[in-house]
This record gives sequence, structure tokens and C-alpha cells, in this order.
Amino acid sequence: MRYFSQLSLPGKLALFAFALGLVAVFGDPYGGGAVTLHPQELAVLVQKEVDHVSVERLADWIIQKKSDYRLIDLRDAGSYATYHIPGAENVQLTGLTDAALARNEKIVLYSDGGIHSAQAWFLLKAKGYDAAYILRGGLDDWKDQVLYPVLAANATPVETAAFQRKKEVSAFFGGTPRLGSAPGVTAAAAPLPEPALPKVQAPAAPTASAAAPKKKKEGC
Amino acid sequence: MSAPFFKFGLFGAEFSLVMAFAIGIGFGFFLERAGFGSARKLTAQFYFKDLAVFKVMFTAIVTALLGLFYLSWAGVVDLSLVYFGPTWLLPQIAGGLMLGVGFVIGGYCPGTSMVALATGKVDAVFFVLGVTAGIFVFGEAYPAIQGLVNATPMGEITLPQLFGLRYGVVVFLVVLMALAGFWGAGAWERRLARRAGEV
Repeated sequence: MRYFSQLSLPGKLALFAFALGLVAVFGDPYGGGAVTLHPQELAVLVQKEVDHVSVERLADWIIQKKSDYRLIDLRDAGSYATYHIPGAENVQLTGLTDAALARNEKIVLYSDGGIHSAQAWFLLKAKGYDAAYILRGGLDDWKDQVLYPVLAANATPVETAAFQRKKEVSAFFGGTPRLGSAPGVTAAAAPLPEPALPKVQAPAAPTASAAAPKKKKEGC
Repeated sequence: MSAPFFKFGLFGAEFSLVMAFAIGIGFGFFLERAGFGSARKLTAQFYFKDLAVFKVMFTAIVTALLGLFYLSWAGVVDLSLVYFGPTWLLPQIAGGLMLGVGFVIGGYCPGTSMVALATGKVDAVFFVLGVTAGIFVFGEAYPAIQGLVNATPMGEITLPQLFGLRYGVVVFLVVLMALAGFWGAGAWERRLARRAGEV
């Protein structure tokens, strides 16, 4: 104690920092798996829709080759094999919490509509995965907005201009833009044939087998 | 109640700007009080004549590191929701070198140039004009250099992930590195002072 009081202030602070650093070796900032769920916080997240990612934004991420997120396809393996969004990994709901996902990774979930992904979102939240997101509208919206966007026949010039960009994005993902035919009929109301999905590029995007822990897609 | 407050919806986007302003003013104030509104003081670091920049910056790093670690260990801060920039290795090395060269030539980094501007330094006026011009040029040239800017993405990767070490081990190593740095800086400054005394 006498030695301590003889130290200069920087010396004392240095000793303090050393002690804190030494104790830190035994600590875990992510709480070691024990998770406290706060219903009100979850409610706020859901209400404010901060947990949503739109299909347009996801398309932009893929085009920009962003790699700071994991895209999880929650459908069955057959549907996944038929088509999946580029870069998506196939993980079933039952295997979700065993999958090699890190708790601080940005995880984007999608299913056909949005129900399974919303349920998976709660599962992940309950397991302490805080950066989980839902692809708004799921694969249905991906098809409608990204792969096969529709330009209504009575579109305003602004919509037509925006459609140019959509056409490029659609082409990037191997889709085909469609033009609404009958004037006055909204695109959504007009019965449209289900377009054949573009063939998924072979080999399929890297899949995470639930067993092997997977490194980030790029770098290191 | 846990932090980050904004992500848990404790305040909205508008109030977050007020918070950012308050924190920014505080940041600027302490930079100024550390003497970092002076280009002489800042560039002296690069000639190893004054190691204040090194010591202040590493003190800030260690303080924030230990503070965040212990607060999140205690469950007050949710570390996985705290934003940190993703890594793009090559462009960040290139950008870091450019920033360093600009720092030595201009005498400021972006933050300290604002501090110096606020205290009425004329050279800081020109530095900030240069920064603004640089931002404009980058924005205009972005389509051409997009490939470089987005090269070698590694995502939001942390040192514990990169080296496969426990989080706390990395904290300890960084603290050790900082303490060794402080000790080295102190020894070097005593040597400089002795040499100045001899002349």
C-alpha cells in the first residue's frame, strides 16, 4: 500500500488499467449465453420496423458485394435448390440455433412470405442474436419487386424513370421486367402468369453445413 | 435499461442529432484542452518531438475499451448492437496512408481541424476547405474508383474473431501494449529533455 501511494497519478492509473485488463481475461462481454428478453424492447423494435430489410436494399447489398451480413433461407432444401437469393445459406428453423452464426453478425432471414422469418427472428432474439433482420415480404416480394418488377401501363414519368433502375437490377439477378398491359388495370390486380424462375447459378452459393463453423465469406 | 439507447428506441432520430451535437462539442473541447488545436503540437508527434498525441489517443482507446468491456459484461451495454465500421482492408490501408500524409502536410486531422477552426486558426480555415474539396472530389470520382473502394471486404470483423482469441485476452493484450507504449513514450521524452538540457 505504501508503494502504491508513492506512485505518480499516471502510475496509479496504469496499475488500475493493468488490473482491469487482467480481470478482463476471464470476462465475456456477450454475457455467456444467458439472455434477458425485454418484451417492451422487442415491442419497440417490431413497432418501429427497424428489424426489416427491404428487398431493394438487399438487392443493392448483393450488387455492391457487401459481406457484412449473413442471408439465411429458411425454406426446405428442395425449394432452396430450385431457387434462392444469391449468397443465401439454407438453414431450417429447427436447425437455426445450432447453425454457425455469431451473435454480433447481421443476420437477414427470409422465407416465402414473412411468417417463418418473423418466427425465426423471435427465436434468434431469444437466443441473444441481436442483429437479426427480416427480409420484408420474403421471397414473394423478391420475385415481385426485384426479379419481375412490373411497370403499370399508366405509370407516371417518375415511376417510369425509377423502373429503368429496377430493370437493371432485375437483369443483374437474371429476372425479366414486365409491362402491365391493359391501361387502367393495376398491375397487382391483373392476373399474371407465374414466371419461371431464373436458373440458379451453379455452383450454388456457399452453404453453411450446420456442422462446420463457417468463416466470413470473404477476406482473411 | 440497457444501451445503446438509440437502438432500443429510448429516443428518436431527431434527438440523436442533439446527442451527437453535445458529444461532438465535448469531444472538441477535450481535444482543445489536450492542445490538439495546434498544428505544431500535432505534427511534433510525427517527428517524435512530442508524444502527447500518442498518449492522449491511447488513453482514450484504453478507457473506451475497458469501459465498454466491463459495461457489457455487466449487461448494461449490448455490445453486439454498438456500431463499428466494417473492414475493407486494401482501401482502408490506402486511405489511412493518404490521411497520414495529409496530417503531416496540413498539420491536422479532420477532427482537430474543426477544433482549430473553432478557435480561429487561419491555417485551419484552409485545411477545412481542403477537406471539403477532397470530399467533393471523392464523391464525383466515386463511380471511377468504386472498384477500389469496395475491394477486399471483410465485414464487421473484430480482433478476437480474426485471431480466434477470447475477447478478454485481446483486451488484456491491448492494455499491455498501451502501457508499454506509455512507458516507452515517457522514457523517450525524458531522453529528449536531457538532450535539450545538454545543448
